[in-house]
Amino acid sequence: MKGFLRHWQQRWRMAELRLLLLALIISVTVVTSVGFFTSRVENAMQQQARQLLGGDVVLVSSRPLAADNLQRAQALGLETAQSISFSSMASSTDQSQLAQIKAVSSTYPLRGDLKTADAPEAAEILSTGQLPARGEIWAEARLFAELGIQPGASVQLGHSTFKLARVLTQEPDRSVNLFQFAPEVLMNLDDLSATGLLSPASRASFSQLFAGKAAAVKQFQTALKPTLKPTERLRTLEDDLTSVQQTLQRASRFLTLAALLSVVLAGAAVALTSTSLMRRELPAVAVLKAMGMARRQVLFDHVFSLLLTALIAAIVGIALGFGLQFVLADWLSRFVGKALPTPGWLPVLSGLFTAVGLLLGFALPQLLRLVNAAPMRILQGFSEQPRPSVRVAGKWASWGWLPRLRRSRRAVLLVAVFTTGLFSLLLLTTVRTDLLNRWQEALPSDAPDHFLINIQPAETAPLQQFFSSKGIKAELYPMIRGRLVEINGKPVVVDDYGSQKAKHLLEREFNISSFAEFPASNALLQGKWFAGEHEGLSIEKGIGETLRFGMGDKLTFDIAGQRMTQPITSVREVRWDSMQPNFFVIAAPGSVENLPRTFITSIHLGEHKTLVTELIHQFPSVTAIDIGAIVGQIRSLVEQASMAVQGIFVFTLIAGVVVLIAALQSQKAERRREIAILKSLGAGRAILRRRIWGEFLLLGGVAGVLAGILAVTAGNLLGYFLFDLDMHLNLLPVLVGGIAGSLLVGTAGYFNLRGLLDVLPMSLLKS
Amino acid sequence: MNNTAIQTDNLVKTIPQAGRELQILRGVSLTIGAGESVAITGTSGSGKSTLLGLLAGLDLPTSGTVQLFGQKLDGLDEDQRAKLRLGRVGFVFQSFHLLENLTALENVMLPLELLPQVADPAARATEALAKVGLAERLSHFPTQLSGGEQQRVALARAFVTQPQILFADEPTGNLDRATGHEISDLLFALQEQSHTTLVLVTHDDTLAARCQTHYRLEDGVLV
Repeated sequence: MKGFLRHWQQRWRMAELRLLLLALIISVTVVTSVGFFTSRVENAMQQQARQLLGGDVVLVSSRPLAADNLQRAQALGLETAQSISFSSMASSTDQSQLAQIKAVSSTYPLRGDLKTADAPEAAEILSTGQLPARGEIWAEARLFAELGIQPGASVQLGHSTFKLARVLTQEPDRSVNLFQFAPEVLMNLDDLSATGLLSPASRASFSQLFAGKAAAVKQFQTALKPTLKPTERLRTLEDDLTSVQQTLQRASRFLTLAALLSVVLAGAAVALTSTSLMRRELPAVAVLKAMGMARRQVLFDHVFSLLLTALIAAIVGIALGFGLQFVLADWLSRFVGKALPTPGWLPVLSGLFTAVGLLLGFALPQLLRLVNAAPMRILQGFSEQPRPSVRVAGKWASWGWLPRLRRSRRAVLLVAVFTTGLFSLLLLTTVRTDLLNRWQEALPSDAPDHFLINIQPAETAPLQQFFSSKGIKAELYPMIRGRLVEINGKPVVVDDYGSQKAKHLLEREFNISSFAEFPASNALLQGKWFAGEHEGLSIEKGIGETLRFGMGDKLTFDIAGQRMTQPITSVREVRWDSMQPNFFVIAAPGSVENLPRTFITSIHLGEHKTLVTELIHQFPSVTAIDIGAIVGQIRSLVEQASMAVQGIFVFTLIAGVVVLIAALQSQKAERRREIAILKSLGAGRAILRRRIWGEFLLLGGVAGVLAGILAVTAGNLLGYFLFDLDMHLNLLPVLVGGIAGSLLVGTAGYFNLRGLLDVLPMSLLKS
Repeated sequence: MNNTAIQTDNLVKTIPQAGRELQILRGVSLTIGAGESVAITGTSGSGKSTLLGLLAGLDLPTSGTVQLFGQKLDGLDEDQRAKLRLGRVGFVFQSFHLLENLTALENVMLPLELLPQVADPAARATEALAKVGLAERLSHFPTQLSGGEQQRVALARAFVTQPQILFADEPTGNLDRATGHEISDLLFALQEQSHTTLVLVTHDDTLAARCQTHYRLEDGVLV
């Protein structure tokens, strides 16, 4: 061991080992900083997304929940809160209105913010940490409009009279109750029993909210799951909120892709430097073998050296990576307006594995060749060492040297490394641009902020007129509520399904629509979209998987006593983050005309929220649902994700440039010899300078064009399969790759070798 | 005690070249006694270095046998042959083959480190370097030494384990005449002191003449 350590110290005198260590440190730094940063950003995005639930995990039931859940959670160090929601009439002195009452405990919400305003048109303020005092309620602006009252007025709920103190503008878990028709009223849980509204027979939704450290939440969730009663359902980020999840998923996929490409870049540098290290070791090994060293000793000695190098690189790289992500996170937090949560420790492990994996992965094949090198080579010379490619100076600029370039292993290696580097950068650029555009398209500034539901067939024409008079664009979709009763003629039995999700879907009514135009925010996966047929169903992919039906299966729905049986003719993927009305099941146009139906639409009102009041006065049966807050939250999530994507991209860019320089550095000794020979042959500085520029501009150009072609291909494939982007042929990356590669590699190559032009040929030869 | 250091019988070595077999050695038989100095001369490409490699067990013949220290080499794998050489065989090469990242002292210590339990290898290496007149250059790296000095380090490295056989491949080939002379004087002095068998490959007839036995290799055959 001591001998191995001394050999490592002796090898440390070789520039190659130092360079290898540098390349490894860079790769570990990139991987760990990206890892730490990704972990922080993901945590932040998860946290933001959890705000939409009000907690990390929410247990919901139609029956009162046992208090021992709360105690169990508190024992694990989790915070808890409770809420009970139910419908009830709220009355002012003159009028009554059905309201959705939510009684909450003093710790509500555990995640996310409450926002309120003094009056319906007043500016909203953050009210987290405050809740309606005893004897007070807060309500949505709609209730003020419906009851025709102002803040401070008295409102009767059951046996109690409350002061309607503030306007509730945002609450975290509203999206969970997206199809809630009545305006929401928030009250203190302690006031609930006095109202007498909640009896054992009441229809109410009881919720227990839990939040805390991820490990404790997971432990609690695992313990809770087997004890769930049929009426109870556990809501987590993974089960719910598909729109948020899709945004998160795409962002984290991109971040992981960026990290992966950083590893590829670093791997290229490690491959180069370890190759040149092993090449340099070849004569030494041959000498040692001639002296009687066994292959096993050669192997152990080198493996020890490599592992020690990897370990040092891992320690230094992880420390640097940890430090760097702080800078990046600090920079990011200026844009997102809050500090990112602390990172997990997984990146430390990935840093260590990167160092060891890269080194062994790239150096081991070389090492095995080294170990098996015949000792006879010591007498025969080391022809495997690439000889310096010497060319008669003066003809450097002619195209005649192109075949030479093709033959040169060194040039091939450089083109391969530069192509890898430029490919990574170009791929990230194209995917990043597409991804950002996609997000912007998905949530444009005029994204719908209100859903209008319960529109009666007779109201569609006057409502369209109302919209056009106000300059609002809206498409009305029919909505039929039906329960799935048979699949292929066999009755559906809820208990046949194991998953909670499946049971939940079957116990409630489906929202079925019917229209001719294929929804823009969907993608057709199987079958054909309706083209004049009057029969057929188009289903969402996920629901088919959950309920185990697919193409060709016949579904029977019970729609208010009438049965509708139709075959599945297509399967769609739905982009839930589109904020458009999306449907699990769409029937062929014209096939549902005779069934009881209402209509649904989504509209963008922006600042003109008062239009809602006007609309409801004109169309009393229509229910307007304000989803502006959700859209806002998702938009800020998307902004956060976009910033993270940009941040990581900058990082990979830096890594790419460093790797290009490392690649050049690894061949410096060879270049030194070559320049010495050329100088001794009479090549002047000007000729050598032009030669270096010429070679690297061309190498960079070739690598850039190759990288561009690869990036366009891979970008399209990745975009299509991972990021739900459409395929398109864009040759710009090829052009940009060629020009940028040429300039980048040319400049880096020249500046890397410039120093060698000043050294005297004699000393160059000696060294 | 066997008085024969090396014995070969009808050594043949062929290598594939440009699609056909090229015969480098065509039946070489020789016997080298312990403590003897033997020169093998010949023109470039006559197969001198190939023969040296086969005698040292660095490579195996296509046919024929080599016995080193009375042990037949055919049937031994590379590691077994290396073990046979360990501490008993020294090498001096035309291009010195010092390890660039090691100082003169570390280069000389290298063969001692390969041996199990050598007491104070640094002292022995220092002594060996003093014998070749480099006591003041212990911490110099090969690039800081002249060609002659580098070959002195190589000689110190070769003799430090007090080998039974020293193989020298054109030891003066890369040196000027005067330096070459110095090195060959040193080589023979050391060989005499330690009674080492010397197998010297050279195209320098003057150097060969200093050996007890002189073989000439012509077209793969000893004449």
